[in-house]
Amino acid sequence: MLRTDDLELADTKERRSMIMAVLKYKMIPEGKIGEYTIPLNIVFVDIKDIKASGLDADEAVTRIASTLPGPAGISVFDMEAVTTTSDGIMVQGAIIKMAASDHGKINQDFGRLDMEEMPYSEKLIEEEPHLKQWEASFQGRKLFRGPDPQKKIIPVHNVCISGRASNNNSATEMMNIVTMEEILLPIMGQLEVLQDGEVLVGLTGGIISVGIGMTVAEQYGRVFPTRQFKAGETAHGSGEYAQTLKREIPCIVSNKKSFAKAIIKALNAGMIPGKDIGCSPANMTVAKYLGKPIDVDNIQENAWEELSSVGFSKEWVASDVELLTEDQVLEKADELIPGVTNPIKKKVSEIVKVVEIAL
Amino acid sequence: MKLMHTKLPDYIRKMHEAVHKHFADRDIKIRGLENLTSAKMQSLRTGRIEHAVEEMVLAPGVEQVEMVVIPRVPETMHTVIIKGMGADGEVKKAILEVINILHSTEEVELGGCEDVEDRRPGIGRH
Repeated sequence: MLRTDDLELADTKERRSMIMAVLKYKMIPEGKIGEYTIPLNIVFVDIKDIKASGLDADEAVTRIASTLPGPAGISVFDMEAVTTTSDGIMVQGAIIKMAASDHGKINQDFGRLDMEEMPYSEKLIEEEPHLKQWEASFQGRKLFRGPDPQKKIIPVHNVCISGRASNNNSATEMMNIVTMEEILLPIMGQLEVLQDGEVLVGLTGGIISVGIGMTVAEQYGRVFPTRQFKAGETAHGSGEYAQTLKREIPCIVSNKKSFAKAIIKALNAGMIPGKDIGCSPANMTVAKYLGKPIDVDNIQENAWEELSSVGFSKEWVASDVELLTEDQVLEKADELIPGVTNPIKKKVSEIVKVVEIAL
Repeated sequence: MKLMHTKLPDYIRKMHEAVHKHFADRDIKIRGLENLTSAKMQSLRTGRIEHAVEEMVLAPGVEQVEMVVIPRVPETMHTVIIKGMGADGEVKKAILEVINILHSTEEVELGGCEDVEDRRPGIGRH
């Protein structure tokens, strides 16, 4: 009889043949959540579950794709690593690989992409000041954002495409190219799914549409491969049109308490909206209620134009509010943190299907 | 002189002829070139594609043949020209912009077909 020790010593292929291996993943199926369209299957898989299956990550996504006849976007997570949101908030849990599949297949040239690990260096921290959060709160963890542009064939976007399925912006925006329906999946919402928390499903609305443009400069970023737009600048640069660019898109985002908690952690690490982290309405709101600084002077006029169009003007920053404690901000997060139109709060278990493939 | 590129109308004509050569009562449906009014088509591949059309029309069990032309790289970058013309139709002012377009890949057309012979060279090769 084989003992566990023997199994550990056997090579991976032999081990697979001797034990019943299972590959586990989570999926939000294509269809509807309430009134909102989910345009393709959204798959979340933890690298820990891939390792436990005995497959490597590429084999695992190929195997998952083979079980899905419809279009799918697939994200592989390392929950021990860290990443950043588009407005510069560092969070634990990172996408390390993404894929798109259709009719059970992943396109051989354009269907998968790895995110690039960014090694820690003092030079990097100096060049990207929002990464001071890495030193302050997440020391020793690996950092991933987007892919290395030299390692991808697709010219501009950080996108994977197979058939109808498109998994874009390093797996935070997925679409069905044939129906042209899209869904926005900010990283923090996806991390809630991995952690079986609570998410909001709704429409993006004007505030998120504007907020997405308030980025930080990152090498190998989720959206931009180079450091194009610094904190205080807008990537949109489209004035009052910014609020309409991504206003009507279904989205699945983190609950606002988790969102506020991450912003508070960043502010406590010394981050200043408009200087170190993006001047998004959410970042500025939390800072304002906690009485933390906002770098009003460093925020560019074209960014103010976009922010003002959805109610976040210089005058709003200067206006008096009753300061709150961190606990009060968390308690009132649903009413304080702006963004998402007509949201419905869902426990992840209500919208996610857990799938196990016997290998 | 080598004919390195084929005129678009000639390319289309050749594909119809590749079918008519064997079946006078059949034709080929071509999609994906409707937006092109003038273009030069790579001759080297034109000949191979003519050959592939013939092969397909003669394949056992095949009753209809269709040709679909889609971008090889599913993200295409386009220049957008916004033109302002005077009453005489002359361009008085123009603004150039860029737009990147995402397209679906071949799986959309192939569905569940398993008998796919991929004769395309690697990306960047002829």
